[in-house]
Amino acid sequence: MNKRRLLLTLPAILLILSILLSACGENANSGEASEIEIKFPSIWVAKDSKAATFAQIVKDFNEQNQGKIKVVVEEIPDYAAYEDKIRTNITTGTAPDIFSFDNPADGEFYYKSGNLADLTPYLDEQWKSTFLDHAFDNAAFDGKVYSIPFEFGVTPVLYNTKLFKQAGIAGFPKTYGELFAAFDKLKAAGIAPATQMTGGDGWVSMLWYSQLVSAIGGPDVYKHGLDDPAFVQAAEVLKKLFDYTTGDAVGLDNAGSHFLNQQTAVLLNGPWFIGRIKKEGIDHLYDSVEVAPAPVYEGGKGQPGQYIGFTQASLAVGKQKDKKKEEAIVKFLKYLTSPDNVKKISLDSGALFVIKYEVTKDDTVERLQTEMKKGMEAAPYIIPHFRASVSPAVGAEFPQALSGLVLGKYTPEQFVEQLKQADSK
Amino acid sequence: MQRTTHFRTGAILFLLPALLLFAAFFLYPVGYVVIVSLMKWDGMSSPGFVGLRNYSALFHDEVFRTSIRNNLIWACAEAMIQVPLAILVALLLARKPKGWKLLRTIYFFPHVISGIAITMMWGAIYNNERGLLNSFLRLIGLSEWEHNWLGGLGSAFPSVLVYGLLYIGYFMVIILADISSVSQSYYEAASIDGATRTQQDWHITLPLIKGTVATCVTLAMVNGLRQFEQVLLLTGGGPANSTSVLVLYLYKELQNFHYGTANALGTVLIVLGGLVILTVRRLFNAAKSDM
Repeated sequence: MNKRRLLLTLPAILLILSILLSACGENANSGEASEIEIKFPSIWVAKDSKAATFAQIVKDFNEQNQGKIKVVVEEIPDYAAYEDKIRTNITTGTAPDIFSFDNPADGEFYYKSGNLADLTPYLDEQWKSTFLDHAFDNAAFDGKVYSIPFEFGVTPVLYNTKLFKQAGIAGFPKTYGELFAAFDKLKAAGIAPATQMTGGDGWVSMLWYSQLVSAIGGPDVYKHGLDDPAFVQAAEVLKKLFDYTTGDAVGLDNAGSHFLNQQTAVLLNGPWFIGRIKKEGIDHLYDSVEVAPAPVYEGGKGQPGQYIGFTQASLAVGKQKDKKKEEAIVKFLKYLTSPDNVKKISLDSGALFVIKYEVTKDDTVERLQTEMKKGMEAAPYIIPHFRASVSPAVGAEFPQALSGLVLGKYTPEQFVEQLKQADSK
Repeated sequence: MQRTTHFRTGAILFLLPALLLFAAFFLYPVGYVVIVSLMKWDGMSSPGFVGLRNYSALFHDEVFRTSIRNNLIWACAEAMIQVPLAILVALLLARKPKGWKLLRTIYFFPHVISGIAITMMWGAIYNNERGLLNSFLRLIGLSEWEHNWLGGLGSAFPSVLVYGLLYIGYFMVIILADISSVSQSYYEAASIDGATRTQQDWHITLPLIKGTVATCVTLAMVNGLRQFEQVLLLTGGGPANSTSVLVLYLYKELQNFHYGTANALGTVLIVLGGLVILTVRRLFNAAKSDM
């Protein structure tokens, strides 16, 4: 009996002892650990054009702050998964120490959650002066700054001059009338003129729609909501553009593959795509690519040279209980957004940023990036894209409504109605 | 008397952990889903009670109706096509023809591979420009049948649905295991009476494995109701929401910060699942009492 009891008691004692010892161990560790660990789930990893420089910046920061602060990057290369994670974290009150988000429309929801740190006290004039004017326009809520704008995106036209020459076209068309004439020539030469897509978030076609909406309705088009007739008119033109694309456009969710394989001659996309043109473009595609602003719409309120531009990535901080940790996070944010580091990332990846930096004659500046920058600086105005200007529900419904429009299920009026309905829930 | 009290206390103590876990991980979440379904909530700010407005909005919503229709078609197709196919193959393999073990492995093999990998493979097969299906049609001189299978309003949903029905291995293995447990003495007696193999299958095997078939039909229908990744990866619910299913719609509503609507969809899904299970059980019980 005693032996049996001993056999039963012994594992219980061992279990209690192990728990106590592990708890003591934790105490001992936490007593010793003065290093602040900052968790940063990031998409700037793996194949991302900013990955290498970003990793180096984090490494340098950790070395400079050894024993005091350590930034730990959690690699999430898939943006949809990243977005899901961030939303779940914020909803459940477990926002990461630092995270990024792309759509200002999402930012509004995050700000009002009450789970983000107020960065206003840290945003002194010195730090603020390193950013472009109006960079913080979408970063505030209730008079408080909840995010630091970082990457800036413009999405001009990228076109393949080699394919244009094959079809006998010199230069990129200035008006939509000229564009359709050029597209007819490309089609006649057996070349699919432009990439369009309705799969995924319909990114490229959404950019075409953004260009059309502002070319027709002018820079103030979003002030009137979706009731502005420009949205219906733009839908008509967009439907026509689907006559000049590849056969798999309805359902296609890979924005760049056709352009990279020289199967389409025109693509709307941003500076982050330059790296892929260099690495993945076939038959020296990079040498044939030029940048141009989208055409002007005859009779529209838009002006020639308009650019679609938007904050492509903002950085936000999860609400912190520990003031020291919050300060450490801000220290890292200041380091990451310093002009020197931003310059490194920008020159290496081709991406544009809302932080100003000086380029010297010794710096090698990417050709297409320079063209985009020039175009952006010459633009009469810069207007955000459609998805950034409407609610997330309308943005999400866009590819579905678009496929309905292209397949003849919806008229342009019904297309806009579908978008409006998505917002009514 | 004391022994009975001890037994009861013991039973309660043994059941308590399971009951607590059931309450924490099933009853509480389901209750939470139902409560949130009565709210207008973006997941970020405070929720507001709206009664049954989310449900009313859903029943007036075309995407919801399409999703319900697609889910029901999917559930019925799995129950009426996939399970009968699995029964047929299991009956044939139960006769142990030459190479039956290899065939059993081949049929089951797709279930070992990740569903995502299989879906991606079918995405490539259906591809309009470079897909195997259109290439095959060209090869056999049917180029006029070439089609953007996943991009057509009429072809997208059948394309997403059909290929999954071919993977019968899971149900086949369950049914085959049950067939192998049927006593050989029934077949010996039937053979002496002159029954053919088909008659033996029809009058002996099928009635004896009915319970397992009912389980397979239930699993198949529930599987049809909770489809998600196949649609998400192949079409994302498009074109024009024609391939949308309830779970995908729920997921999209969560992404749109419509937490109330998403939870109303979750509640509908739970009720629908319960109804399907009850209906299948009733149908099989009725068939049992008819025998």
